[in-house]
Amino acid sequence: MRLFLFAIGGTGSRVLKSLLMLSAAGVRPLDEDGKPVKDLEIVPVIIDPHKANEDLKRTEALLNDYRDIRRKLYGNEPNADGFFANRIVTLREIMSNTSVTLGDTFIFNLGAVENAKFREFIGYDTMNEANQALTSLLFANYQLENKMNIGFVGSPNIGSVALNEVKDSNEFKAFSNIFRQGDRIFFISSIFGGTGAAGFPIMVKNIRQAANLEGIENRDALSRAPIGGLTVLPYFTLEGNKHDQRIATSDFIVKTQSALYYYKNTLTGDNDSNVNCIYYLGDQVRSKPYLYDPGEHGQRNNAHLIELIGALAPLDFIGKPDSKLSDPDGYPLPTTAYEYALDRDDLSLNFLSLGHHTRRLIYEPMSKFHLLFLFLTTGFKNMIGQGFTEDAPKIKSDFITSQFYRTLVDHFMLGYAQWLTEMNDNMRSVALFKPGEIDMAHAIEGVGVRKRLLGHFKVDNDVFKAEMNKLSKNNPAYSDRTVEFKLLDLFNQAAHNIFTERYENIN
Amino acid sequence: MKHLVYLICGIVVTVIFFILSCSSGFNIYDQLFFDQALTNKMYNLNMFPTIAAITIAVAWGGAAIYYYAINSVKFDRWYHWLAVMGVVAVLAPVACFIYNDAVFEGYVGAKVQFEMQTILFAALLYVVASFSMRWWSTNCRHTPIPQ
Repeated sequence: MRLFLFAIGGTGSRVLKSLLMLSAAGVRPLDEDGKPVKDLEIVPVIIDPHKANEDLKRTEALLNDYRDIRRKLYGNEPNADGFFANRIVTLREIMSNTSVTLGDTFIFNLGAVENAKFREFIGYDTMNEANQALTSLLFANYQLENKMNIGFVGSPNIGSVALNEVKDSNEFKAFSNIFRQGDRIFFISSIFGGTGAAGFPIMVKNIRQAANLEGIENRDALSRAPIGGLTVLPYFTLEGNKHDQRIATSDFIVKTQSALYYYKNTLTGDNDSNVNCIYYLGDQVRSKPYLYDPGEHGQRNNAHLIELIGALAPLDFIGKPDSKLSDPDGYPLPTTAYEYALDRDDLSLNFLSLGHHTRRLIYEPMSKFHLLFLFLTTGFKNMIGQGFTEDAPKIKSDFITSQFYRTLVDHFMLGYAQWLTEMNDNMRSVALFKPGEIDMAHAIEGVGVRKRLLGHFKVDNDVFKAEMNKLSKNNPAYSDRTVEFKLLDLFNQAAHNIFTERYENIN
Repeated sequence: MKHLVYLICGIVVTVIFFILSCSSGFNIYDQLFFDQALTNKMYNLNMFPTIAAITIAVAWGGAAIYYYAINSVKFDRWYHWLAVMGVVAVLAPVACFIYNDAVFEGYVGAKVQFEMQTILFAALLYVVASFSMRWWSTNCRHTPIPQ
């Protein structure tokens, strides 16, 4: 199964980043029986005209790093167990890199939209006087003058016009050619801004009305496709909040209310089957205020709990059985709405604040990944030349200067550390792990190591090394695998054993 | 299989050492140090097999302790292995000397010189024992030289 994951706008990019972190930790979508969904490929497509958006750039860099790391670990094998388990590919990769019109990128090319002011885009100057007057009624002057390479600046009315061009793009055509029955589509967008609020309904409309579009293949499969969406309600505030600002926190609720009415009428009404599953997510506790930046300075917002929880929505959607999305004839079922609640209404969250279902899904993988982060950054380098590193295939001293290792540790892990710190510093504070704590026994917030006869179990790099030595000894499983796979797979198994044996069980 | 061959070779070398230690024709202990009076006395008291057995026991015991009792990631460097060899190289001659002195008194100077050989034999047997048994150690199987 492929999941085409459209991440629209800044929130889309940030939720996608959280999904990447979960995927790196080895969180996989589970089916009804609690087993990982087989043969899954996730195809993220970022739709955002604001290419200079720092959140988008950070997510894109992490996506590329993730893809490189995973390729080195598992090649093109879709089914994997452990870190970086979910296979993430570009549209071009699915087409075996044969497309001449598509770049090997996760970003939707919105060329015509990005390079123009809105007034140029709609041909305002070529309109007759009456149409100009009507246009001026619909759009404020600053909206007409808005250069769209900084996005739609909180104006969904611009986005709804500009993003209608998406259906004619090479990316949309490539997507429609690739899409097969059994694949699914998911949208991530916010409802209180410009790009996401406009992009989600337009994309759904174009997919459902694929039969009317020219040059689109698989029209039937597209119009019947299971579609899910994460609609992020207001969860952050902006500094200043002056009414003359183009994006104002005070407008968020009104915009949300209007958009929800619109969604109800067009997408998610009682008998509407345009979107099969809609996940609503927001928080009345607002974030620490973000720097007001309509786009000119890159727009870089700190990671937030809502994005982490939001990243669980596509995973939940993937795990839904077909019978909950389509009727026996293959037609999509009406919308089911989902919400999310914390187990404890804490302002500083740890794993114990999350509900049982979420904890079971993410606690062990995320903790193992964090221990991997600590292991690679504090202990691994000194282990080369001993123990498991000397078993075939050997991990030699030049491994730590390899492209893989630098991508994993210097790039991806750095992004991971930043992501954790940002979530920790935000409101609600996500303190899953103690910031700056390198003692593995005390790194997981709210979870200690078990007691034994005398004192507590020890967990440190040496314990991991010993466990990896044990698992690696006379193990033929790695003889035909890469050193990269060996290292991460051994650690994953060792971490599972240590985790089960030595840490308190909170599941 | 390869590791089993190493173990068998190690046992064979050790047995040869033991045989050559007990032999009256070519005695390995006579090759590096020879004192007619001491050698005759030790030979007459049939002490060479015990001296060789002590050396073998200390060397193989030291290796076994390092690879299977210590067997720790904290002590898996070549210099840890070397430190145990140092202990073996001291312990074996001391044990032999005590045994020697317990059997008969006197000849202290000659006994000390004789035990100098034991340092070398114990160290060599420790190397042999290490390469015979290290393969099954969980944490030190690549010490002192990786496979």
